[in-house]
Amino acid sequence: MTDTTSSEWEGAIGTVTLGATAGEGGTRTVSYRIGGDQGLPYTGAFRPGEHQPLIVFEICDDPSIWSPLVKNAVGDQVNDPGDWAATVEKTYRADMVRLVLTSTRRRGFEDFPSINRTVEQVLSSTGLPLSIEGPSEPAIESEVFQRCGEAGQGERLLLGTAEATRYRSVAAAALTYHHAMIAQSPIDINLAKQLNILLREVGVPADQIVIDPYTGALGYGFEYSYSAMERIRFAALKGDSDLAMPMICAAGDTLNVKEIRDAPADEQDQMAIRWEVYSSLAAAIAGAAVLCVRHPGSVPVLRQALDALWVSRQEVKADGT
Amino acid sequence: MALKALDIYKLLPKKNCKECGVPTCLTFAMKLASGKAELDLCPYLDETARSVLGSSTRPPIRKVKVGVGERSFTIGDETVFYRHEKTFYHQPGIVFSITDEMDDGSIRAVVGRVRDEKLTRVGADLMINGIAVEHTAADPAAFGRAVAVIEEIADLPEVLITTDPVALEAALGQCGGFRPLIASATVENYVAFAALAKKFGCPLAVSAPDLSAMKDLVTKVIAAGVENLVLDIVPASPGAFIATSSLVRQQSLARSVPELGYPVLYTTATSSSPDAAIVAGILKYAGVIVTAPLSKAETYAALTLRQNIYTDPQKPIQMNPGLYRIGSPGMDAPVLMTVNFSLTYFTLQGYLEGTRLPCFMLVVDTEGQSVLTAVAAGKLNETLVRDSLKKFDVESQVSHKKIIIPGYASPLSGAIEDATGWKVLVGPRDAAEIGEFLEKEWKA
Repeated sequence: MTDTTSSEWEGAIGTVTLGATAGEGGTRTVSYRIGGDQGLPYTGAFRPGEHQPLIVFEICDDPSIWSPLVKNAVGDQVNDPGDWAATVEKTYRADMVRLVLTSTRRRGFEDFPSINRTVEQVLSSTGLPLSIEGPSEPAIESEVFQRCGEAGQGERLLLGTAEATRYRSVAAAALTYHHAMIAQSPIDINLAKQLNILLREVGVPADQIVIDPYTGALGYGFEYSYSAMERIRFAALKGDSDLAMPMICAAGDTLNVKEIRDAPADEQDQMAIRWEVYSSLAAAIAGAAVLCVRHPGSVPVLRQALDALWVSRQEVKADGT
Repeated sequence: MALKALDIYKLLPKKNCKECGVPTCLTFAMKLASGKAELDLCPYLDETARSVLGSSTRPPIRKVKVGVGERSFTIGDETVFYRHEKTFYHQPGIVFSITDEMDDGSIRAVVGRVRDEKLTRVGADLMINGIAVEHTAADPAAFGRAVAVIEEIADLPEVLITTDPVALEAALGQCGGFRPLIASATVENYVAFAALAKKFGCPLAVSAPDLSAMKDLVTKVIAAGVENLVLDIVPASPGAFIATSSLVRQQSLARSVPELGYPVLYTTATSSSPDAAIVAGILKYAGVIVTAPLSKAETYAALTLRQNIYTDPQKPIQMNPGLYRIGSPGMDAPVLMTVNFSLTYFTLQGYLEGTRLPCFMLVVDTEGQSVLTAVAAGKLNETLVRDSLKKFDVESQVSHKKIIIPGYASPLSGAIEDATGWKVLVGPRDAAEIGEFLEKEWKA
């Protein structure tokens, strides 16, 4: 039976720094050191890291395959990643921007110089730390990640996403330009560990890795991801240093679920927001440090909920008093 | 600590009489050891055995039923801290609260929602479980009147929220026979509350400022003759709820504090974020969650999260293999092969419906494994694809012989072509890109 009474765990979660301020060699207005938690999340023995889970807002550089709900909620800014990123910071008030390079998912993508331009444009439009999600096509990823890494030099980006059969390009960019990277596995703790070992063997240090156990949308396998996160967190606290990295929750398919598509038009936004918020909150309770959302309305609701969770995390002592 | 099966067996009569419902005393001992049997089933235990075994073999968390009839719900009887250790068994009952100061029309509106609102997904009807009535009016009789309004239009489990025995008696006069959960007995009122709970056979919530006081009060209430208890832990916030509820779950399972071996009641009203409270309650062991009525979106999300967390992880959800249709596909429609893991199926189906292109989904039997896992395990292979094409007579449905396979199955494309004689098109790895793929690449 799981021994969860211990307030003395062998391991703690390592830290990863995202973003770099002027003093740290970058141009971000803020940087975050995520991870560093000890003990099971929100239990009496929990000793949290420096931050409550970060709310990351995802934008893209080609909105044609993006959710119509988001395009409707955002308006014309979907066509300008720089403007959109500025709005993410000033209006939605998320903690980070994640730039999904949807342009690279078009068949026959060749406009590599546009990658540098887009990344630079976003970096100059917002002071928030930046995450970049690259292509799904293996043939172009080396070039894309190299350009992202270069354009974001000094800014401690979070580059995604590496998997067991394709991690070298992301790892190379992370190592060469000193960025953090996302290591994804298909909802399997053993595969997560294996990938982190592979990364270690090519020289990526633990403090540059964020674990993505892959998150299915709420109602579409979310519970598998939730349990994978709980298992990874437990193993890390028991001393497994190959799993002791902060975790990310990025349920990208969420806005496409049937419950949202089938809702009456005037209810779709609320359904979308709750879908994103509930899965993000559940992931936070399982220990996730980085939570990604796409609907602008999700940010304030999630912020309020995380504040409610965070503020009281040390109120109960181990003896229940 | 729990006794092992062999130690229990030593104390049993060893008659193998089968009167407890299992063939041998050793089997009965094993069931007792895992908390899956009641000691009282054995008619031949001597007093010593009964007292030694009594405390250590009952289920670590009591099973409690709230309400009667079709909508009643059962909570407790859990055996793990993490769902991934085995499974969670009894999902929390979620109830919407009203007060006895509300007018009848407002009360009926909430009751009507709980009675009728339903979300059907993955073949199950998900509903809110009942109504909590909070006594806030000055007049104790108002409590009874509010309950009567509910009883007129619905047969729903109820939670009666008061600490005043006079008001409680008025309410029980209307619904006592329907076994509402009484919330809650305190150190001041427990004598009267225990008597009323006993009289009507109701489950009783017990409220105390901390777990130490809770233990004492539980002991007193049990001595007063009420066994179906729920712990009303009154946390200051969702974070405090998680901490306290986790401790209760830990200590119950370890049997280190038997007085805490009961399901937990969580009233979310104290939280500044109802969303945080509901999610915390569902994930972290609440047996009953009392909340102000949720919006439709919050209701749907909460019911879905509850369904997900309380799904048995030992059984991956599977679709029946077969040829599925999106829209009305004709002879020139594309055929997309995928696996029978529900997550994969629903995700792909969702994106295909979004494209509005009629097509066929050939769902092959990988016993619930995802594409990636099934390819790695060799379960998704050319033989399976060939046999599925034949079994579901796909050839008769389309005039072409082209099959689209998931991107992660690309290593199989040559073998599938050889085994089936069909042309393989390798689709994207990410279902989100299927629309663009079909637009650019599909020609019958």
